[in-house]
Amino acid sequence: MILLAITNKNIVGRKMSKEELAKELSDAIISCKKDNVIAAVEKARDAGMEPTEIIEKGLAAGMNEVGVLFERGKLFLPHVMMAADAMTQGVALLEKDMEPGESAKKPAVIVNGTVEGDVHDIGKSIVSTMLQSAGFEVHDIGRDMPTKAFIDKIKEVNANVVGLSALMTTTMQGQKEVIEALKEEGLRDEIKVMLGGAPVTQAWADKIGADLYAENATEAVRGVKEILNV
Amino acid sequence: MATEYSIRMGDGKRVYHDKKQIMDDLEAGIADAADLGEISGLSSDETERIAEIIMLEGRMVGVEEGKEVPVTHDISTLRIDGDQGNSGVGIPSSRMIGCMMHERAFGADTMELGHIDYSYKPVKPVIAQECQAMEVCQQNMIIPLLYGAMPNMGLYYTPDGPFENPGDLMKAFKIAEAQESIEKSADHLTRDMIWIMQHLMRSASDGVNFDTTGAAGDGDMYSTLHAVEALRKEFPNMYIEVGMAGECVLGMHGGLEYDGTTLAGLWPHQQAPLVSKAGANLFGPVVNTNTSKSFSWNLGRAVTFIKAAVEASDIPCHVDMGMGVGGIPMFETPPIDAVSRASKAMVEVAGVDGI
Repeated sequence: MILLAITNKNIVGRKMSKEELAKELSDAIISCKKDNVIAAVEKARDAGMEPTEIIEKGLAAGMNEVGVLFERGKLFLPHVMMAADAMTQGVALLEKDMEPGESAKKPAVIVNGTVEGDVHDIGKSIVSTMLQSAGFEVHDIGRDMPTKAFIDKIKEVNANVVGLSALMTTTMQGQKEVIEALKEEGLRDEIKVMLGGAPVTQAWADKIGADLYAENATEAVRGVKEILNV
Repeated sequence: MATEYSIRMGDGKRVYHDKKQIMDDLEAGIADAADLGEISGLSSDETERIAEIIMLEGRMVGVEEGKEVPVTHDISTLRIDGDQGNSGVGIPSSRMIGCMMHERAFGADTMELGHIDYSYKPVKPVIAQECQAMEVCQQNMIIPLLYGAMPNMGLYYTPDGPFENPGDLMKAFKIAEAQESIEKSADHLTRDMIWIMQHLMRSASDGVNFDTTGAAGDGDMYSTLHAVEALRKEFPNMYIEVGMAGECVLGMHGGLEYDGTTLAGLWPHQQAPLVSKAGANLFGPVVNTNTSKSFSWNLGRAVTFIKAAVEASDIPCHVDMGMGVGGIPMFETPPIDAVSRASKAMVEVAGVDGI
């Protein structure tokens, strides 16, 4: 487990560069400790760093690194959530300094669930958690969910993306059924469809007309950002 | 034009690769395992040997004479009469007939009796029936017959069990509560597995197979290791097999330890010593198949991980080989060309003690 401690050293007689401050912010996020993040944000703000720079070059960069460490089995789900929570607190500190509309806005609404007949939960939950920690508004509707439950939730929350998980070759068909239902409901052009699950492949995603296939939670975050251009 | 060989993708699709492509994919898969596990890659001779195995003529291949290894089966008790749309063949029979067919017709060296749900928790209310089935099977069989099931700790979380689902708690940033729920579930699961196996051991079981250990993350493995430890203490001669669910222990809790080692994030070569320390006789390491990569990539990667596990283990390693593991494609009926080649590579290059 890697839990980096934030460096509190004073660099006497020299003003820290923006790069150094950004690194300190990033390291604070990787430490997964709220106090470290708050201290680093206050320090960067007092040093004159712009709120958007603090978020993008420091905090968000740290979250990206957390994603990498998670993918490599060096950080685990609770740490990802602690880092995300710490980032939320850090961003909240900056909101009063930001112009209206500049503050962090959830970039997309995502409905995520495991298709009907499939009771596997953990992989889908990890994807939901990682998407949430990346700043998306995620509605995890659970496992073994009928097609209608996906459609109803998509309509209710006006989702931009739907994630369909299937861990068994026998339940992959459920992903196709949701896509067909989206077409029947006239929703297909308004929503991006992401597929995941061990037996799922890019070829299957292409075959049934999905927009995105993600091999793991980190790729899901990366893929959704790319496809939505956020 | 270079000779092309028929191989598979990780989803079972047939493709044709020449030797260069096979070697490139093998080396990439080996490098991926070495990087993730922080272990040694394979030598050029070993890589070349796997390539030779992949390129062998004949649809099915076998190990060289004298290199045969024991073969044990898990849920196969149900595989004859079961027809769940995946691995069962749907022939009306019984669990005992399933066991006996594996012993007498299919050459299994050990077998296990399993419940239709194949998880420990649902065995508890039908323990008397399971004990009776064990006794009847033992009266008709010679090879070691274990009782097997999955720890499957997810069954202890809502909506299936009494403890709040850590996934839901985590998403609500209730991290300490999520970890507490995992700890309580793990304690409950440990108690159930010990109780169930105490009964089955008194009904002549030769031992236990903990199948797909770690499926619900580090709590699942924590629970299994503690159950192994308790059972070994109570039954010094019982046969204990621990097979894994995946190559890396998922850190759902993140802080659980066994014998001072954090369980989250352990790879096969790190899992093996802990399984041995807990008191198991046999370890079943797993490497997952990537459905988007070629058979060569998956097999190179799997052999690298398993070879390291074999070297690190002081108990026999019977590698998990089947649908979606051990380099074998994720396909309802895994293609025999890939199954036999992957098995041969595991025995001859990774040095596994059994399958």
